[in-house]
This record gives sequence, C-alpha cells and structure tokens, in this order.
Amino acid sequence: MKGLIFSIEEFALYDGPGIRVNVFFKGCPLRCRWCHNPEGLSPEKQIVRSPNGCIGCGACRDVCESPESCVLCRKCIITCPRGLIRVCGEEWDSEALAKHILKFSPILSNGGVTFSGGEVLMQADFLSELLDRTASLHRAIETSGFGSTEAFERVLSKTDLVYFDLKVMDGEKHKLYTGVDNAVILKHAKMLMHSGVPYVFRVPFIKDVNTDEENLQRLKAFLSEAPTPPTVEFLLYNKMAGAKYPLAGMAYTEHFEQPDEADIERAKRILRAFNISFRK
Amino acid sequence: MTERIKKLKAALENREHRVHRRKLTEEELSVILPQIRNRALTYMERHTLRLKLFLELEQPVLLPGTEVYGLRTIEYFPDIYSEEELEEIKKTHYVHEKGKVTNLSWAVETVLTEGLEGRRARLLNGARADEEFVRLAGETIDIVEAFADRYAAAITESGKPDAGEALSRAVRFGAKTMAEAFQVFRILHFAVWASDCYHNTVGRFDQWLLPFYRHDLENGIETKESALEKIEDFFLSFNWDSDLYYSLAWGDNGQSLVLGGCLRDSTCAVNEITELALIAAREVRQIDPKINLRVDKNTPIELYELATELTKIGLGFPQYANDDVVIPCLEYWGYEPEDARNYAIAACWEFIVPENAMDIPNINGVPLAEIVHDVIEAHLMECDTLEELMAFVKDALTKRAIDMASVVKNLHLEPAPLLSLLMGTCADEGKDISAGAKYNNIGFHGTGLSSAADQLAAVDSMIFRTGKIEKERLLKGLSENYQNDRELRWMLRNEADKMGRDESANEIGNRLLHIFADAVEGLRNERGGIVRAGTGSAMYYVWHSRDLPATADGRDAGEYLPANFSPSLFLTKAGPLSALLGFSSDALKRTSNGGPMTLELHDSVFKDEQSVSKVAQLVRAYILAGGHQLQLNSVNAEKLRAAQLEPEKHQDLIVRVWGWSGHFVELDRCYQDQVLSRVEYKEL
Repeated sequence: MKGLIFSIEEFALYDGPGIRVNVFFKGCPLRCRWCHNPEGLSPEKQIVRSPNGCIGCGACRDVCESPESCVLCRKCIITCPRGLIRVCGEEWDSEALAKHILKFSPILSNGGVTFSGGEVLMQADFLSELLDRTASLHRAIETSGFGSTEAFERVLSKTDLVYFDLKVMDGEKHKLYTGVDNAVILKHAKMLMHSGVPYVFRVPFIKDVNTDEENLQRLKAFLSEAPTPPTVEFLLYNKMAGAKYPLAGMAYTEHFEQPDEADIERAKRILRAFNISFRK
Repeated sequence: MTERIKKLKAALENREHRVHRRKLTEEELSVILPQIRNRALTYMERHTLRLKLFLELEQPVLLPGTEVYGLRTIEYFPDIYSEEELEEIKKTHYVHEKGKVTNLSWAVETVLTEGLEGRRARLLNGARADEEFVRLAGETIDIVEAFADRYAAAITESGKPDAGEALSRAVRFGAKTMAEAFQVFRILHFAVWASDCYHNTVGRFDQWLLPFYRHDLENGIETKESALEKIEDFFLSFNWDSDLYYSLAWGDNGQSLVLGGCLRDSTCAVNEITELALIAAREVRQIDPKINLRVDKNTPIELYELATELTKIGLGFPQYANDDVVIPCLEYWGYEPEDARNYAIAACWEFIVPENAMDIPNINGVPLAEIVHDVIEAHLMECDTLEELMAFVKDALTKRAIDMASVVKNLHLEPAPLLSLLMGTCADEGKDISAGAKYNNIGFHGTGLSSAADQLAAVDSMIFRTGKIEKERLLKGLSENYQNDRELRWMLRNEADKMGRDESANEIGNRLLHIFADAVEGLRNERGGIVRAGTGSAMYYVWHSRDLPATADGRDAGEYLPANFSPSLFLTKAGPLSALLGFSSDALKRTSNGGPMTLELHDSVFKDEQSVSKVAQLVRAYILAGGHQLQLNSVNAEKLRAAQLEPEKHQDLIVRVWGWSGHFVELDRCYQDQVLSRVEYKEL
C-alpha cells in the first residue's frame, strides 16, 4: 500500500544505534505548540517555500492559475529562478520504499531504519508493511503514542526499539499544549513498559510546561511502574523550534522558554532512580 | 598540550616570527641573478649555485620555545630562469607548471639514519651514471652541511652546546634520537624548499619516526608524553614558512603526511606514532602538515573515532585512503607489490610511491563533462539508446586521452641534486631524479565526472527511457542556455537521474570511469611510463567550467562543476549514504590516481561522543563499500554564508538545530543567522 512521506534522512545521529536512515511520515493528529516540524503536520501534500533567497520577482505569482486553493500544478516550482519552492510530501509504495531503504543495508552495519514523523501511527497499515519488509534491519519507531491500541500493539510486535514521547503527565495540560488528551498515550506507554521491546521515553523539556515539581513527580510515579527502570531522554527546548514555520507558510507565535539549570537539577533529583539524560 | 607548545602556537598565530623576514636587496639581486641565470652553465650547475647562494644568505634564527630550528628569513629567491628563458624552453619542451621536480616522497628513514655522509658514500661508491650529478650532488652535501653547521653554531652560542654538536653530527652521520631526527628533517626540508622543489611531502611519518621513538623510550630519553610534545613542536614547524612556499592556492603546498596502512610485507603498519600524530595534529590545529590516514577493511573503529576527533576541529582532514582499493590499483598499473603497499600521498591526494618514483600524477586534466557535452550536442539525434551514445563517448574520450598524452613530449625538468640525494637509489646510481626513476608515470585527472554521468543519465532517463523530453527540445535548451525553457532546466535538475542517488546514474559513472581507464591503457610516455587515470579535479573544475556551455544535467553555462569525486550541486533527496554508495565504484581499482569523495557535515554533528562515533562508522562504511579516498569537511560559517547567498547551490546542506537536523536553506533567515553565529562562536 501507499503512504505519504515528507523526508528521508540518511544519516540520523540520535534515533537509534549505528548508522540510520530516518523516514518521516507526513501527518500528525497532535498540535504540540512547540512542534519543530510544521511541514509534517498536514496529512496532505503541500507546497513549501524556502523564505531565504527570494528576490521577490513575483514569477511564482504570475504563473499561478489557482491562487485560492493550490492544485499542486508545480508551475510556481518550475518558474522560481532560485529553486526555492517544492512539494512537501511524496507518495511511496511500501514495497518501493522498503527496497530504497534496504539498498543501504551493506553500509548500515549495526544500524538500521527509524520511522518517525509526523505520527507514524496515523499511517499504521503502511508502517506495518514497512516493518515487515525491513525485518532484516534494526527497526525503530518514534511515536507520540497517540493512535488506536490495535495499531500500536501490531506495530510494537514488529519493532526493535521504540522512542515514545511523554510530554506532559496531566491530561488537561496535555490537551492544552498538544490538542489531545493523554489517556490513550499513557495506556500505550504502560503496554510498552511491559512489552519486552526495548524503549526510550522522550520528554521535550520546556520551562513552565513540564519542568515543575508536580509534573516530574507524576512522571516519577508513572515510570516506577515499569518492571525495570526506564531510560528517559530530556530534549531541552530552545528558541529554534520556530525555524521552519515560514517554510510551511505558517507563523510561530509561541513564547516558550528553555529550561534553566534549576529545572534540570530538579529533574535529576526527582528522577535519580532512572537512567536519564539531557540533550540540547 | 604543554605550556611550551601553547606559547609556541600562540607566537606562530601572532606571526611574531615574521619580523625576521627580509627581501633581497637590489644589490644582492644584481650579484645573484647573473650567476644563477648564466646560460654558460648547465641547468644543474645553476640549480646548485642557486641553492648555495640562497642558504649562504640565510641567517640562522632561533625562535624562543622551539627545539626544531630552521626559520626562513628570505622571502623570495629568484628562479634560475628568467620568464623569457622559460618561454624559450617551452617552445621545444613540455613544461609542467614551473618545470620543477615536485610531489615526491623521499627515503626519510634511510636518510635520517645514515646522514648526508652516508649518501656521499653511496654517491662515490655507486654506479656514477652521470659524473656531473655526482660532482654537484657532492657539492650539494657540502652546502647543506655548511648551512646546518651555521645553525649548529648558533644553537651552541645560545647555550645549548650539546644540541649544536648533535645537529652537526646527525646531519652528517645520522640521527639517533627523535629530537635529532626532527632537527635533521627540518634542515633538509628547509633546504629542499630552498632548492626550488615544491609540494614537498612528509612521507609515512609513523613509519620513519618509529625507530627513533622506540630508541628514545628504551633509553629513557623520552616518555610518551614528552614524545607528543616533540611531535607537536615538529608539526608547528611546517607552518612557520608555509606562506612563502610556491602553491597554486593558499595552503596547497603539499606538506602531506601519511599515517597507518600496511607495511611493505602487507602486515599492519599502525603503531604508537599513528595515535600520537592524530592527537598532535588535533592539538596544534594548523593546516600543515596535512594528515592522511590509510585504512582498510580491518582497521578498528577506534582508529576512525580518534581520526574523527581531528575532523571535528574543521580543518578538513584527515583524508582517508583505502588500501583495499589503492594498492590493487597501483599493482594493476605495474608497481611492484612492495612499492604499492608503501604508497604515500603527494600534494593534495595523488597516490605516489616513495623513494623510487618520478611520477607526475597531476600533469593534466581530462574534461569529462565537456567531452560528454560535445558528444550529446553532436550525436544525440542519431542515437536512440544509451549504448549508442556511450559508444560515441568512448571514441571521444579515447581520442582526447591520446591527444593529451601525445603532447607530453620532450619533458623539461630542472635537475634537483638535493632531492635526488634524498630519494631511494639516485645516489647509488649517480643519476638525478629528474632524468627518471624506477617509475616514470604520469597522471590525468578526470574533471566533472558527476556532471558527465548526470548528463548521460538525464538523456537516458528523460529521453531514451521515458520520452518525457524530446531530443530537439534538449538540444535547443542547451544552445540557448535554457533561457527560453525553464521547465526543461528544472526537469533536468530535479527529475533526471543523478549520480550519488540513482542506481542507473551510478552505473553510468562507473562505466565512464572504466572508459577513462580503457582510454589511457596502453599509452606510454617518452620515458616508458604509463598514464594513470584519476578522479581528482585540482583547479581544473573551475578552469574547465568557465567556458563550458549549458549541459544536459541542467547546469547553466559557466556554472562551476563539482570538485573531485563528488555529486552534483543539484543533487537533492539524497544524503551521505546515497552519495557514498554512488561513489564507491568498482572502476576505482583502475582509476586511483587520486581525488577524493568529499562529504560535508555540519560541525554540530561532532557534538558528542555518540555522534563522533557515528561519523567514524560512516567513514568506515565508505571504506567497506569500496571507496578509494574520502575527505570529510565539518561545515563552517563561510559555507553557511555562501548558502544564504546562493541557496539553490546548497539544497542539501544539513545543519543540526535542536536535537534535529534541517536543510539550512529552508530555515527562516533569523534562525540561519543564529546557526551561523553559533558556528562562528565555535570556530573561535
């Protein structure tokens, strides 16, 4: 079957062991207010424009025959003298994409493939086929955990490593910051903890969103339910989150702050029983 | 790094030593020029006289803090030829660059061990093929020894009589310790530069230094730590005068040093010095000496990781060479296995055999992109398959190679008695190296390979296989530099197959290299040497692109070709893995004259241990895939600024932003500036 991909990156550094190919699925049901991949949100193909280098020649506007709603005719892309416009989102057949990934097998050595997004569970059938077809490689997924339980279970059984986001522990706050409740996410996180599949929890660490004592205590309580102490990576928020919004024709209006030393020390203190790390 | 080295490095970077420099006076020139340009003398006599006058005018300067003495004070010393004379020579001879002996790797360990008197003994007791050489080489030994003695006297006067005595003795009868070896090397290296030979290499450093290092450890003279300090002092010495050396571009002075690889008997050559040298190069952080690391399928990942720590600091080295490809290639070209296994690196990346080769590996560049362009223009209409078109390419490339080889006749090379003395067998044979050696091969670079492959791949994928473009339309677009058909240009740039991404284009690139190898096979130069095909571009990628019209890969007229063995600047939707696979062609075992695959990684990928380890794995992956040579650049601020100005040429420049990576050109300007300022900060 076919799926929609918005990027394939061939030398990912932090998403699994060894040399990795990362495949980014297009489309996400969450709207995290700190999302740094705005072009991955829509499950549709879309025109994106690099904001830099535009000389304002207007050629793209002149050729456009459907300024109200883009029909992906590509005329603006071809016309742009600086090559700044492209279609974001490419339809791939799972067989062709698996073949494309597998051609790197000889040089991946102890590495593999990581499926990321967007949200991979939004295209669970496509993902499932890809996992089957790339079974000769080490396969990792990165997920928010938001999706159907049937899909999550199915995917989990075919995955060698899961990166699972635990953004905010309180359901209301989670909804406030991501647009969805976290009940199903926490349910899946518990399944993951007991699945025997290697996993890493990831926390986008953002000042005054999830750096407070209460959230960290709730996180600790949650992690304590795992049969063995989980690994947790804190990704420290920084101001670069908005970097790609103009590309996707969007504006980044959030004013989050990066965590300070006290926040990091708090996390270290509360979660000292777990294997935690911080990454900029 | 010790305090001594820190101070020395700071003094070098502050250019304090330059106060000792001077220009020759008019009066001095009026004495020198008539002597060295006296046409009544032979070239060898003039060359020797020039070296004598130069070294006699050099005043020893002992820079504080260093233990490796030898600082050039005369900024420029004239050539033995006037411009008119060189032009006259060119009328009847082939003159490569300045007509000098360059790019050789001398017998460092032997020379340092036996000293110049050891060379003199060989000279006097040898075959004496050329009596003039024997006489002038003997005089050259006197000249260099006298120069060393003046430095020795100055060292003694400075309160170091033992070091002064050691220099006079070691330069004559051989060095025993590391300190003596470095000092003698410095004097000889200085003198070779002064003799007007250029692109003077450092050879297999970890091999020639090892016996001295082990001697010193065994005798309690050095420890590992003190040896590292000495190596750093020695490495700094390559930078005192490097701006005065002849080169085509700043920094391109050939002071290349080789580490690792295998011994002549094919056993592993990696030793304690390999590691110390990588550490020393990282700590002193200078552009000389340029580090090359020989690796093979058995090289442990730890060595790659140590080397990656050096890449991380952003000097663009080490450059990796793959023994599993280079040695078979050298053997294929007729080098004896023991010589092939002992290979070193010349100026930039040309593979050379130390001691007994008088190869000129960079004698010319075959413009592959231009040849393919001309074939498409002339023959596309009569072709319906890639095979038909490739047949024309083969004919044209073969003809061009024959033409270029036939021009290399009556080669003029200025004799070089000093460098000859340092080479393997010239002293024994009594023959100047410029007259030839065991190997006398020449090398042709192949420039614009990826553009050539992409042009053919575009015709194949867009015309022959899919019919998306008509032949007439492509030819019209080419003739009009795509001015009236931007869609065509866009399709060729974005939709046509490209080397480094698409398998069909990779295969075309591989076939082109085989055709190149076939084209030069069997050609012989006047010295009986062969022509070696390679993947380097040197400066030809600029020269060959200036007058090249629009090409079928979507390139505009005059746009630069990619350098060396690298993918097109238009390549998108492909990362380093695709590029490494596409550029690990099996034809490299016939085309390893030199010329690296170049990968550019943003310096933030070297941020922590985990990512450094992954870069190391990536390098190893290329070696295991069969690549011959790899250069890794940590992308710096300059590159990012260029990407801001010309985003279309930097589509695939990846930068790490926040636990994730993005295409630099797609980031909002203020974020680009932020990345830029971060990089600049890191470079401080």
